[in-house]
Amino acid sequence: MGSSGTFSLSSLMCEEGEACFFEHLDENPDTIDSLDSPCFVLEDEEEYIEYLLRQETGFGSQNQPFLASDDRSNRNWLRSARVDAIDWIFNSQAKFGFRVETAYISVTYFDRFLSKRSIDESKPWAIQLLSVACLSLAAKIEEQNVPVLSDYPMEEYRFENKVIKNMELMILSTLEWKMGSATPFAYLHYFVGKFCPGSKPQTIITKAIQHIVAMVKDVNLMDQRPSIIASAAILAASDATLTRKGMDLRISVISSCGSLESGDVFFCYNLIQEKRKNEVKTPCSNLMSTQSSSTCVLENPSDTCSGAKRKLSFEDSENCAAQKLHRP
Amino acid sequence: MGDGSGSRWSRAEWVQQYDLLGKIGEGTYGLVFLARTKTPSPSKSIAIKKFKQSKDGDGVSPTAIREIMLLREITHENVVKLVNVHINHADMSLYLAFDYAEHDLYEIIRHHRDKLNHSINQYTVKSLLWQLLNGLSYLHSNWMIHRDLKPSNILVMGEGEEHGVVKIADFGLARIYQAPLKPLSDNGVVVTIWYRAPELLLGAKHYTSAVDMWAVGCIFAELLTLKPLFQGAEVKATSNPFQLDQLDKIFKVLGHPTLEKWPSLASLQHWQQDVQHIQGRKYDNTGLYNAVHLSTKSPAYDLLSKMLEYDPRKRITAAQALEHEYFKIEPLPGRNALVPCQLGEKIVNYPTRPVDNTTDLEGTTNLPPSQAVTGVSGSMPGAHGSNRSVPRPMNVVGMPRMPPQAMAAYNLTSQAAMGDGMNPGSISKQRGVPQGHPQQLRRKEQMGMPGYPSQQKSRRI
Repeated sequence: MGSSGTFSLSSLMCEEGEACFFEHLDENPDTIDSLDSPCFVLEDEEEYIEYLLRQETGFGSQNQPFLASDDRSNRNWLRSARVDAIDWIFNSQAKFGFRVETAYISVTYFDRFLSKRSIDESKPWAIQLLSVACLSLAAKIEEQNVPVLSDYPMEEYRFENKVIKNMELMILSTLEWKMGSATPFAYLHYFVGKFCPGSKPQTIITKAIQHIVAMVKDVNLMDQRPSIIASAAILAASDATLTRKGMDLRISVISSCGSLESGDVFFCYNLIQEKRKNEVKTPCSNLMSTQSSSTCVLENPSDTCSGAKRKLSFEDSENCAAQKLHRP
Repeated sequence: MGDGSGSRWSRAEWVQQYDLLGKIGEGTYGLVFLARTKTPSPSKSIAIKKFKQSKDGDGVSPTAIREIMLLREITHENVVKLVNVHINHADMSLYLAFDYAEHDLYEIIRHHRDKLNHSINQYTVKSLLWQLLNGLSYLHSNWMIHRDLKPSNILVMGEGEEHGVVKIADFGLARIYQAPLKPLSDNGVVVTIWYRAPELLLGAKHYTSAVDMWAVGCIFAELLTLKPLFQGAEVKATSNPFQLDQLDKIFKVLGHPTLEKWPSLASLQHWQQDVQHIQGRKYDNTGLYNAVHLSTKSPAYDLLSKMLEYDPRKRITAAQALEHEYFKIEPLPGRNALVPCQLGEKIVNYPTRPVDNTTDLEGTTNLPPSQAVTGVSGSMPGAHGSNRSVPRPMNVVGMPRMPPQAMAAYNLTSQAAMGDGMNPGSISKQRGVPQGHPQQLRRKEQMGMPGYPSQQKSRRI
């Protein structure tokens, strides 16, 4: 993922290493950061991670897989529309200098929205509207400086502010105002310490972030719990040659992580390895990733390890409902 | 608001659920109205908070999003209960419906100071404090920091099943830990500095739950003495200015902070830069016990001084405070903070909130001039007489509550019509999409109060 291009992942990364997950450095470069601040989290880290894991229980299990549809053409359309949307989100994130988490959270909103309401092929504009509103919402929750709606770069369609606001409201009410999405990023520091004691955390975390971002296009974020993605990313960043057994051994260090399903972790781990192999110095363009073999891995249920969820097909149960999207 | 929008909002379906009684508050965030539910019976009082419209170019206001998303996650007896979120699609305005609380600590303290001229009884102080800590402990264990605790945000339920129960309110500035924080003055929100923790005044960039505990200490002292403990004059400037006077007020009572007692002090921006020579100032240290008239040996003093500990890492936590000896000695704290269990204690009848029935849900004032709002208060002797206009939720005073018959004008049923077609909610949801994860559902069931009609079921969001 190191090569340049319109969507260079490495340029999106936090340079600060692990610190950036636990403190949010002020824009102002000449301020002295208080010593006690990052520590309060570190002291409580164990407790905080347990809390996050508890919050994850029930994750996704109640959601309809949004990419599961009988309509093959719409499924393909939606898959490529999602990849475009993700490109747009990450490009805009880079443009505004948002944190990677902000873009990631936007994608979770995107996926959650589509697991409850469908958009079909006849409304490509709705996908773009959804992307803008998801990113704008995530920025309002996560970022210090929020651009005005008209600053978001629009490509094919221009939306009035009013229309975007209406879409924001639609997302908020569809997601029942539960906007506090957990992300894998919250776990990285903790997992590095547990899985790879003694190694340089910054290097591993930076790599892990790249893995996570690279996975976004291939995994419906509704399907894998953030802690699973985080642990797979950390493991893959520290050792690319793990066997299932070796991985289990590493995971077993964490007592409180009874909920870390090793089958799921291994599935994500393999997915990362798969993606890495396919990284033939191509900029991560949307065309490439739709064709990439890791997507095929997802589609073929008999592939890779057993037991993992693979739901990357499209849902189209409510065509008629989506028609109303025209209204705003 | 263009032509005709005044009637458009009233056509919104959700408005029909309520009888609107009038405006009860106003602040930087918007307006608060008092209403009664028409069903289920018996009807109950609801406070409806209308968010001020954000600029068109900004979309939904971040404050509203944060407040609602946090309130959606929490259910606790000592935290205000969000009953419903209403979207008015005609102008895309947001309305939050809360269980109504008749009193707040600001008004209770003011009543004692200005009307009764005597202190709040020990049982009430202790019960209020215990419940405040109980709610806060819950918030902190869910990794939320309130960040704006002050007497007017601590509500107390009026007569009824929950009489005298404390409810922490106003989560517009609340945060989940680790979320980035804007300097408070930057989001255009005015926050009173009197309850602000010293580490923040000295330039700490990060909030910890300890900032809430400092505020609780200040509120505790105010409950005891009926006046704000550290009443600094605020420096108004665009970007989070250094509040010298507020620190000065604190140091005068608690003495100078030292590196010995507070090691991380050295790293705080304003301390290190020492622009105003705060390090060199001399303070006589009048002593906290003098300020609050407590014996240094009393458990109340011990608890208060632990809340007002300079070093945020040494400051007592809400969970620890609940275990403090102060709460284990007589009088023991109770659920109804306003009515002491012991005989012989006088029961104070606190005034109910004034209702301005001349303002409609859009915030437009109408109706006869004789009823026009004249008593807009802002200068409370001895309290908010400083150089700032504190955003008080209760701006309108001196208006008697109207008897129910007089409310006919606000009974909106007759004007009700079908909702308009712009409702994004009209896109039907997938069937069988469950609401929330099991943990939350369970919590809600548990919290259901006996004899307390649940609004949750009718929730449409």
